[in-house]
Amino acid sequence: MTSAISVRHVTKDFKMGLRGLKLRAVDDLSLEIPRGQVFGLLGPNGCGKSTTLKIVLGLVSGTSGEITILGFPSATAEARRRTGFLPEAPYFHKFLSGRELVRYCAQLSGVSAIKMDSAVEAALELAAMTEAASRPIGTYSKGMLQRIGLAQAIVHDPELVILDEPTAGVDPVGAAAIGRMIRTMRDQGKTVVLCSHLLGQVEQVCDRVAIMDRGRLVLEGRVDEVLAQRDRHLLTIEGLTPEARLAAESALAAHGARVLSVTHPRRSLEELFRELVTGSRDA
Amino acid sequence: MTFLEAVRQKFFAFLIVLGAAMVVSSVAFRFLDFGHGELKFIADFGFGGMFLFGSILAVVMTAQLFFAEMDNRTALTLLAKPLSRAEFLIGKFLGVWMILGLFVIILSALLGLVLWGRAQELSLLAEQSGRVAPDFSIRGLGIFAVLQWLRLSVVAAIVLAIAAAARTFLFAVILGALTVVAGQLQWIAQDVLLKPTESVLYKSILWLTSRMLPNLQQFNIGDALVLDSGTVAAASVGWVILSGLLYTSAYLLLGALVFRRREI
Repeated sequence: MTSAISVRHVTKDFKMGLRGLKLRAVDDLSLEIPRGQVFGLLGPNGCGKSTTLKIVLGLVSGTSGEITILGFPSATAEARRRTGFLPEAPYFHKFLSGRELVRYCAQLSGVSAIKMDSAVEAALELAAMTEAASRPIGTYSKGMLQRIGLAQAIVHDPELVILDEPTAGVDPVGAAAIGRMIRTMRDQGKTVVLCSHLLGQVEQVCDRVAIMDRGRLVLEGRVDEVLAQRDRHLLTIEGLTPEARLAAESALAAHGARVLSVTHPRRSLEELFRELVTGSRDA
Repeated sequence: MTFLEAVRQKFFAFLIVLGAAMVVSSVAFRFLDFGHGELKFIADFGFGGMFLFGSILAVVMTAQLFFAEMDNRTALTLLAKPLSRAEFLIGKFLGVWMILGLFVIILSALLGLVLWGRAQELSLLAEQSGRVAPDFSIRGLGIFAVLQWLRLSVVAAIVLAIAAAARTFLFAVILGALTVVAGQLQWIAQDVLLKPTESVLYKSILWLTSRMLPNLQQFNIGDALVLDSGTVAAASVGWVILSGLLYTSAYLLLGALVFRRREI
């Protein structure tokens, strides 16, 4: 089976000024994104993530290299028909209602008139936007804008969904909701490519990650593989007395092991925040 | 979508109001008719309003709608769909084309009403004094409206081609406005071409310029159509329409070719 996205030796140079100076945004990038997984594309600002996504979507042409989406050359309409895209900080015509926007995008994506109503409602439901769908987009909060953006990206039931910073500016409750939607899409068999700075969320929802720096790929692999420290172990113990601790350390030392630190486990601030404000779905 | 966006803009309403005010106020200024007939003065005033505000609308609205898509990055969302760059550009053009049509229809209808009202008054006066009553052609006004719509469509297509290559809204508007002025003066280049000159280079440049730029003056046959009905041959009108359609298509094609290579 072909990869969802296959990037082969892609380089992108931007010409700067009249003297023809070049800025290399993407440098000989090769990447295979398997189907049916959530793939995180990470990296600092200016590392070439967004340029890579734009080349994948045919919005920018690469200087060299080749990209295919589900086996089709990335710049073709056939590839885009199978792809949904949520840009970073999406902006939509404010005079439209959410439902009108999703319907408009469905028409552009070639959804047939027979399937139109059910496709629009299904996308709105997955994005948890059914209730607010009749309101003008101008009245939406940031979280709702991201969710309606997600609905327009998936209304034509694409096999591949590309999300550029889907939780930027969204509160943790809204971000968690978007995380759940991403997992739902994966359960439906879709491939999701996620570009985000929220590493905690990426860790939670992604199956694989790639990290870019200065236009180059510096790491790629399964999340659990790349994060595991195979030479270290974590024991979570209940009722540890000082005597028991000394005894455990002695026993471990007898086997050549050394206790490096003993701390109390703690939950993340994100988990605490979500527990405290579970009542509100979106601001 | 482009039409809905454009028709909501205050700029469109502002130009409609200005154009309508100019057409209606022509009755008040008819004493300045410089010896011509009153109806001709009113018609010329209306034609002038349609030309001036229509040109501003065609240049500014086209550039504004294009750059709004780029600057707000809605183009990112749309072009990530199975939509070709040419389809996107033609969609923009059709939206502008409809708004220009609405503008021309409103102002032409208003001009027709003003002309009809004054023609009725003048007919009564002519009957009393035993003179021939002045008249105008509604059919001619309709044909003139179609020609103006086409002229503004040519301008919109040119501005869209410029915008497809331009980086800023301001550049597209300035170059678009200069092109309208050059198009109004294009007949001068054609006149010069008819005169013998020694420089082949000069003649070649003029020839190229006169072919690249449409002669926008050829659409200004309102007087002949509206007031001297029957003096314009159908073939001449047909040629002007064909020329307008060809230039519109050619500039849209050029815009699509340029836009194909643009990085969004």
